[in-house]
Amino acid sequence: MSKKNYLCIQRSQSGACEQPSPAQMEMMYAKFHAWKEKFQDNIVDMGGKLGDGAVVSSEGATDGPFVELKEVVGGFMIVVAESLEEAMTVVRESPGVVMPGSSVEIREIHTS
Amino acid sequence: MTSPKLIEHFFRHEYGRLVAILSCRVGVQYIEDIEDAVQSALMSALELWTIDGLPDNPSGWLFRVAQNNLMGELRRRSGRDRILARTAIQELDRHGGPEVFLAGEVNDDLLRMLFVCCDEALPVPSKLVLALKVLCGFDIREIALQLFTSEANVYKRLSRARERLRVFPFQAGDLTHERVAMRLPAVHKILYLIFTEGYLSSRVETAIRRELCDEAIRLTTILAKHPWGQAPETFALLALMHLHAARMTARQDPCGGLLLLEEQDRALWDQRQIQVGMTWLGRSAQGDHFSRYHAEAGIAAEHCLARSFQETCWEKVVSCYALLERIAPSPIHKLNRAVAVLEWRGAEAGLAVLDGFEPPTWLEGSYLWSAVLADLHGRCGNLQTADSYREMACQLAPTSAVKALLLRRLEIGRP
Repeated sequence: MSKKNYLCIQRSQSGACEQPSPAQMEMMYAKFHAWKEKFQDNIVDMGGKLGDGAVVSSEGATDGPFVELKEVVGGFMIVVAESLEEAMTVVRESPGVVMPGSSVEIREIHTS
Repeated sequence: MTSPKLIEHFFRHEYGRLVAILSCRVGVQYIEDIEDAVQSALMSALELWTIDGLPDNPSGWLFRVAQNNLMGELRRRSGRDRILARTAIQELDRHGGPEVFLAGEVNDDLLRMLFVCCDEALPVPSKLVLALKVLCGFDIREIALQLFTSEANVYKRLSRARERLRVFPFQAGDLTHERVAMRLPAVHKILYLIFTEGYLSSRVETAIRRELCDEAIRLTTILAKHPWGQAPETFALLALMHLHAARMTARQDPCGGLLLLEEQDRALWDQRQIQVGMTWLGRSAQGDHFSRYHAEAGIAAEHCLARSFQETCWEKVVSCYALLERIAPSPIHKLNRAVAVLEWRGAEAGLAVLDGFEPPTWLEGSYLWSAVLADLHGRCGNLQTADSYREMACQLAPTSAVKALLLRRLEIGRP
């Protein structure tokens, strides 16, 4: 069975979330690296954090992201896996889902 | 991209380092802006480094980002604040950003911050909270947990300290030789408190307590190696910290219960750290001033050197407590001396130490007082008095671990 690529879209609740302390950041950093190491064969592209931008449509353009929405797309990455289940395992253990109110959407990328 | 390993406590210690460097450059009146700038720099680092890997010089990277954040914030000022901020911006520009700092320079800035925190006008709790926040990089939640107080209370103390720094910005340049000498005792006291908050607390988890002890030792070591801190008191303070910390792991059983000195496995004591402590104690024996830190380090050293509880030189312990009582009068020291005399000369002699002594209400209401009296009376054979004190001590014990400890302790030596 050939492997498939999955786009993982990270969302988090907009608005005030408490900032982590330096000690917590150290823990988050360590966890992140442990996770990255564990799934290094699955992670194709670490993607990145998404900043401000714009939304273009046939009617023109607006500033994005939509701040009035409760959830904001914060980042993305691309994961390779045999199946959706495997991709879910990678994501479930990722630091992207630990914060309360945050979630990751996984979508297969069809290439052919 | 380099290997993703960072030294232990990197984020927390970078926080303290950067706040110190930037405060020394633009002035402590901007402490809040500086802390925000450093916090966001750390957040950016967390986001970028986890994806791209570490930059070649993580500390230099953080400094540059924090400095840019701070400049950006200062440039947004308007009106009168803008004119004032201009000087601060010029200072940052003038220094530029050497991305590699010499360890000595960084320690200078950290020490300056420590002396700034020990402002005479601030009450001790505010100094303590300020030091934990800006020098050790703990946040309000963590400090509240460490000091068993509410976040609101920590916040209040911190605001008071920041307000003082804003109105009377004490600048690095104000630290003359006389100022440093004048503030040194307050600096000792704050470092001592950070240590004892960690060491003596009977309530928090070991990890949190250990962290406070380590921070106290880290800062005191920097002080002891700097010309500003080279005083016998500093060396004695550092000695007492090492001599206590060396025995810390042996104080608890595997289930987290507290162990009595006589129950501890002395093989678990960290001999290397005891050696370090003894070396500092040796260096503290100069000059003619014998401080409370000397007395306390002396007591800790006696325990460290004794091969067993029975072989403890109680006579020396007693004389150190007597000195301590004279230098820093406290009923707690008298109580401790009574216990040491009990081990040295027997229960009746121990009881005699407390003859005619009226304990203050706070001591009478604490489990320590009842426990010591239960012990002394029990060993003198006054069983009825002993039992009523024992019951009271158990009722007043703050935790079940302490209560279990008391019950075991009070069984020892009873006829």
